[in-house]
Amino acid sequence: MDILKINNLFVNYGDKEIIKDISMNIKRNKITAIIGPSGCGKSTLLTSLNLMLEVNGGNFTGEILFKDKNILSYEKDNIRKMIGMVFQKPTPFPFSIYKNLTYAPIYYGTKDKKELDNIVKTTLKGAGLFNEINNDLNMLATKLSGGQQQRLCIARALTVNPEVLLLDEPCSSLDIQNTKNIEEMLLRFSKDYTIVIVTHNLAQAKRISDYTAFILDGELIEYNETEKIFSNPKDDRTKEYIEGIYG
Amino acid sequence: MNVKTKDFIFKTWIIISAIIVFLIVTYIFGYIFINGLSSINFEFIFGDPRGMPIGSEGGIFPAIVGSLFLMVIACIFASILAISTSLYTVFYAKSKKIESIIHLIIQSMAGIPSIVLGLFGYTLLVLNLRLGRSLLSGGITLGIMIFPYIQVRAEKTLSEVDKDIIGSSYALGVSKSYTIFRLILPLCKTDIISAITMAGGFAMGASAPIILTAAVIFAPIPKSLSAPVMALPFHLYMLTGEGISLEKAYGTALVLIMILLIINITAACLNITKRNDR
Repeated sequence: MDILKINNLFVNYGDKEIIKDISMNIKRNKITAIIGPSGCGKSTLLTSLNLMLEVNGGNFTGEILFKDKNILSYEKDNIRKMIGMVFQKPTPFPFSIYKNLTYAPIYYGTKDKKELDNIVKTTLKGAGLFNEINNDLNMLATKLSGGQQQRLCIARALTVNPEVLLLDEPCSSLDIQNTKNIEEMLLRFSKDYTIVIVTHNLAQAKRISDYTAFILDGELIEYNETEKIFSNPKDDRTKEYIEGIYG
Repeated sequence: MNVKTKDFIFKTWIIISAIIVFLIVTYIFGYIFINGLSSINFEFIFGDPRGMPIGSEGGIFPAIVGSLFLMVIACIFASILAISTSLYTVFYAKSKKIESIIHLIIQSMAGIPSIVLGLFGYTLLVLNLRLGRSLLSGGITLGIMIFPYIQVRAEKTLSEVDKDIIGSSYALGVSKSYTIFRLILPLCKTDIISAITMAGGFAMGASAPIILTAAVIFAPIPKSLSAPVMALPFHLYMLTGEGISLEKAYGTALVLIMILLIINITAACLNITKRNDR
């Protein structure tokens, strides 16, 4: 089933048109990768999906349906709760690890200490951080290593029980081991969440995603099952892009 | 003249300027310290002014307490307004035009001579609003004086918070007000408190705004906001201006300078701890 349906999406920042007429559907509980050269509009497409676009000063026309309902008909805060997002640069709040993870649950009304402890524990386990930092929950989150910070940010996004998780090049500043950790984590998550990941790393898209969309200059060139895209691209531009990187 | 000589002259000029400033400051401090030290004793600091004319004997305790009260009221009044204004300009103002109008107003406020502020406070608060010559009138007038100072620093601090961190709070579906109160303000707390503290010191040392709005020659420690107060700068002004006692005047000046020094050092320490945390 398609959890997100994008119909004729155009996005512009002021006079500059970034996304030109993209239509695509995103399948529930699958990992969808968005690939393309820098500046092609991958991240912009991602931020349109949870309305973070307007925070950055962009506008869109067209239609985005979340569970067959226009996202504009939901409360803005609610849409962002259901469609979580992780940024390229790790963005831990400069508080303790515990406070990072209870920040949003407290906002949504969870006050019970036991329940909060439980949320912290579950999300840390989900992000594979529990064994590493279980004893340092009061440590300043900014003192963690880059990879740990990024996993904490993913854990933080999970604290509000989203249905979709958007990730904007989450591994671009991480080393191989940390990248591997995050990829394994995303594969585990796909049972419970729908994941959309922007990546410039083609090997990564190939390793973890079920579907891949190739975007060039704001246009959707090709969108298909990952295997088909990589083994038998239909469009020459897709082929060139994929080969260009490998060659 | 070649580049090297130019460079040398420039460098010498900078060093000489620094030395001149340093000497002036040391001289002022030293002069007041040497002249004021002899009148400092327990009775001077913790006693009431006595004698005829009043102030020629006794102490300055009501003036110390009065000044501290004035400072606290000014800080509370100014910081509430200043923080709200900066939150508005940084996070809510949608149009650049409104923002620049606000900035223009604040800059103009910073340029108002303090005696004019004093007259304003006298007309509006003391006469029209019938607050009388009181702690409250003086505190508010001083608050208006230090408002631009706190606002500018608070706005700078707020606008320097990492946009990605704010973005990731919004991305959790958290409202703007929760983000401001639970994330942004706690992050900026130290910087803002340091700005308020320094502005408080500035308010405490000012005499023009309180001459007409709050300060009197003699009053006990105020028991309510509507009571008139004694204040260190005004007391100092009276002691010298009326030729009451030069010795007590130096003592008062020394106490005032010491309090201001403590306030400013506290503010500086706050800044240093903040930097070390990063």
